[in-house]
Amino acid sequence: MAEGDFRQNPGCAQFDRELMDYLEGEARPFVSTHARECAFCSVLLADLEQVRFSVRQLPLQEPSPVVWANLHARLEQEGVFRPSVRGWGWWESLRALARPAPLGALSSLALLGVMFIATPSALQLPETAASASSAPQAAVVASASFPEDRELARMTQDLEDTFRANEGLLAPDTRATYEKGLTSLDDSIRECKDSLRQKPDNTLAQDYLLTAYTRKAEILTSALEFQGR
Amino acid sequence: MSPHSTPLPKAAAETQLIARAQKGDEEAFAALFEAHKRRVYSLCLRMTGNTAEAEDLTQEAFLQLFRKIATFRGESAFSTWLHRLAVNVVLMHLRKKGLQQISLDETDTSQEEPVKRDYGDDDRRLVGSIDRVSLTRVIADLPPGYRAVFVLHDIEGYEHNEIAEIMHCSVGNSKSQLHKARLKLRDWLKEDRRKEFPGATIPVDKPNGKGLR
Repeated sequence: MAEGDFRQNPGCAQFDRELMDYLEGEARPFVSTHARECAFCSVLLADLEQVRFSVRQLPLQEPSPVVWANLHARLEQEGVFRPSVRGWGWWESLRALARPAPLGALSSLALLGVMFIATPSALQLPETAASASSAPQAAVVASASFPEDRELARMTQDLEDTFRANEGLLAPDTRATYEKGLTSLDDSIRECKDSLRQKPDNTLAQDYLLTAYTRKAEILTSALEFQGR
Repeated sequence: MSPHSTPLPKAAAETQLIARAQKGDEEAFAALFEAHKRRVYSLCLRMTGNTAEAEDLTQEAFLQLFRKIATFRGESAFSTWLHRLAVNVVLMHLRKKGLQQISLDETDTSQEEPVKRDYGDDDRRLVGSIDRVSLTRVIADLPPGYRAVFVLHDIEGYEHNEIAEIMHCSVGNSKSQLHKARLKLRDWLKEDRRKEFPGATIPVDKPNGKGLR
């Protein structure tokens, strides 16, 4: 049976006509009745319902701390804040991103990012890479497989080691803010690597992996700056 | 509108935060950003499919929000106001980029294509097999108009009449574009599976007791 032959079946054609309204919640008893009788239409209906279900499970994404840093700078510049009511302790940590020292470190990361972009295969992980890990954060960066990937992972790991050695200097609420961000990024890194193991040419996963590493380094740089004050 | 609710902060606390933000309280701005940033950023990311653009648009949406916050009178929920504003920011951005597909009435080609069905060994259900990264990628690959309707309806929870108003199209057109977007996603995800498991045979349920092959 060739693709398209279903049109010879008037039931499938009617199914197609009513499917959209059925999925919109309208009473279309023919759709469910026909799906019980026709395996092809049954698969189609199940797939569409699965797509609809799956997108609802997509997790919300965390923007980079740089978004608030830039936004804050703009609001401050525009005089939106009143001086008498300024300042939140935990928030001060993220403001460090607007300072010269972290920006220098971020410039280095941006250069490293260019290296990635110039090397299309840089983030493609081999099928034989280590299996998905539920181990702690260190394993996330330790499993990098390509020279540039390893370099960025190594830089990030160095930053994290320094952060861990001095985390006692941070107030508990500030530390918790950083930890939350780092945990989220480690989850993203792990998820991207899992996807790349299955599909090494998944460019979106490659982009996300690079972004996750870069953001992790940004957060750690910000934290180190804050610790040093 | 019935988008997913924002659990924090609670309504009363948020009302206080808004009042403080209206007086220029920096802490209140930060708290409101913290409470809503993920949903706004996720909306922008899924509407554009690009992280850099999404971050710029998130910043722009909150910037507009905080500039206008003194005018907020509480007639609608704050989150509804913010997300509608964010949607408008994204749509303006897409229009500025010259993405004509964003105008749904120009791209409505309903009824002309038969729904694809695959037969034989290629007919595998997607049930339980949709990878998040793959799903995110195929959503990003949708034409902007399809993607906008799909994100607004299936992810953000907008109703078709709201989408029609936002996107200046008919309700029927919104429904039609959504249906096509879902069919495209389904086709692309199945294609991904074929590449992932070439030659594999995955059993299909046989509700009528007869085999597919």
